[in-house]
Amino acid sequence: MATCTGWQDAKDRLKKIREEQRRCSDEVVELWEDILWDFSYKLGSEEWIIYEQVCIAACDCGRQGVALHCLGLLQTQFPNSLRVRYLEGLIAESSADYGRALDLYNTILKEEETNSLVRKRKVAIFREQNKIVKAIEELNHYLQQYMSDFEAWLELCDLYLHEMDYSKAAFCLEELLLANPYNHILHQKYAEIKYTQGGTENMELSRKYFAQSLKLNPNNMRSLFGFYLSASCLAQKGATGKTKKDNAEYAKAAWKKINEKYQMSSIDETESKTELLALQGMLESLQV
Amino acid sequence: MAELLLDSDIRIWVFLPIVVITFLVGIIRHYVTILLSSEKKVEMQQIADSQALIRSRMLRENGRFLPKQSFLMRKHFFNNEQTGFFKTQKREPVMKNPMTDPSMMTDMMKGNITNVLPMIVIGGWINWAFSGFLTTKVPFPLTLRFKPMLQRGVELASLDASWVSSASWYFLNVFGLRSMYSLILGQDNAADQTRIMQDQMTGPAMGMPQDPSKAFKAEWEALEICEHQWALEGVEDEVIAPHIENIRNKSI
Repeated sequence: MATCTGWQDAKDRLKKIREEQRRCSDEVVELWEDILWDFSYKLGSEEWIIYEQVCIAACDCGRQGVALHCLGLLQTQFPNSLRVRYLEGLIAESSADYGRALDLYNTILKEEETNSLVRKRKVAIFREQNKIVKAIEELNHYLQQYMSDFEAWLELCDLYLHEMDYSKAAFCLEELLLANPYNHILHQKYAEIKYTQGGTENMELSRKYFAQSLKLNPNNMRSLFGFYLSASCLAQKGATGKTKKDNAEYAKAAWKKINEKYQMSSIDETESKTELLALQGMLESLQV
Repeated sequence: MAELLLDSDIRIWVFLPIVVITFLVGIIRHYVTILLSSEKKVEMQQIADSQALIRSRMLRENGRFLPKQSFLMRKHFFNNEQTGFFKTQKREPVMKNPMTDPSMMTDMMKGNITNVLPMIVIGGWINWAFSGFLTTKVPFPLTLRFKPMLQRGVELASLDASWVSSASWYFLNVFGLRSMYSLILGQDNAADQTRIMQDQMTGPAMGMPQDPSKAFKAEWEALEICEHQWALEGVEDEVIAPHIENIRNKSI
């Protein structure tokens, strides 16, 4: 929590949060209540955008009163604005009045078809109501038009994983990989989905993607464990002698690396010994 | 070259008024543009098209990180003869003919009125009112090539190129006060003429207004020749290479 000394400071801090698009709603509401509410006449040209920012942050924190206050001010100033109606929908959502929120969003979409924010809110409402299938349908419809929306693909992947539809989730993650090929976490997630799907081909893919994730970030312990698991699984089920030998080598190398990392991270001698013993036991029990 | 001494009245009655006039006209232009401007509506179709093109481009650039099957699946989705996206999505070539399309026409006219007309009118007035004056001197020496640019309206062959006539001083102001406008009016202001001139040349970046089918064809060709070179070939060996050495060395 930053300590702000005066309204000027608070205003600058809010501007910084807006520009960096960070989600520190607690801080925003706190700054508003402590400092800026009394000085709202000093906000100048940023007045309305600050009201919008505080309104959204208040919805995030569940502070209905603050949000409604800001909404009221905005409505008197901009009576027919779609942006203000969107905020109204957000407040309705945060008080679980989903019917009203959906109506509001539909009216916005009738007037402004290309509003992507509102369409995503509809998906969020369906998800809140636990209507996952409907959410998936809505999101698919959205993605048919906005094909390269990174966040939307991520959300769809999550929804499919919720429904345990791994092949479709893998498809979504591939889209994300296309957009961010150097993100080691995406590779790791993809590898984990392939591992869950099972089967020799998927297991091989999973091993490859774990390796890629390790190449991008050698400190990714989760990928290291994943690599070890997929390699040892393949080593046990391997058909030909060569793949079995290769995989056994991979598994051994991974095991060695895991040991090294644990040794490096532990400080105390005795502590490290017990940790390593535990690790060894765990690794042996993990042999699929 | 003899040193010319300018009457100090010129400073008060020519130099400063031109600066003030240019500045105020710029500000007025900014507000008038805001009053007259119409909002640009983006079509759903345009967004969908541009997003599809972005996706296809990313597939070409980063497709080597996907398994071969996935890459081929997507390539098929876009390029297939019967069912591919780029083949089946026929778009009417929306050639926005400026003569017939009314909204484009009004936009062009508004642009002309607010930007070009004041410039011509005031330029002409300054030329008439302040003709024959030397307004100022640039503090650094210049070559003769600059003479026609800086000494519009004053044709003296022997005059040093550093001297600036009033009409040229006006034009210098138009371009020079741009940064002042951004200080006072904030970024993205309509008084910034050079930016508008740039905009007319580059065109909009968001939608695909002119010819989506042409863009689709270009993208289809680019994707067609793209092959899948799997970046992950042999990545495990790379990762464990340092350890393999150790294992082999130890077992020896």
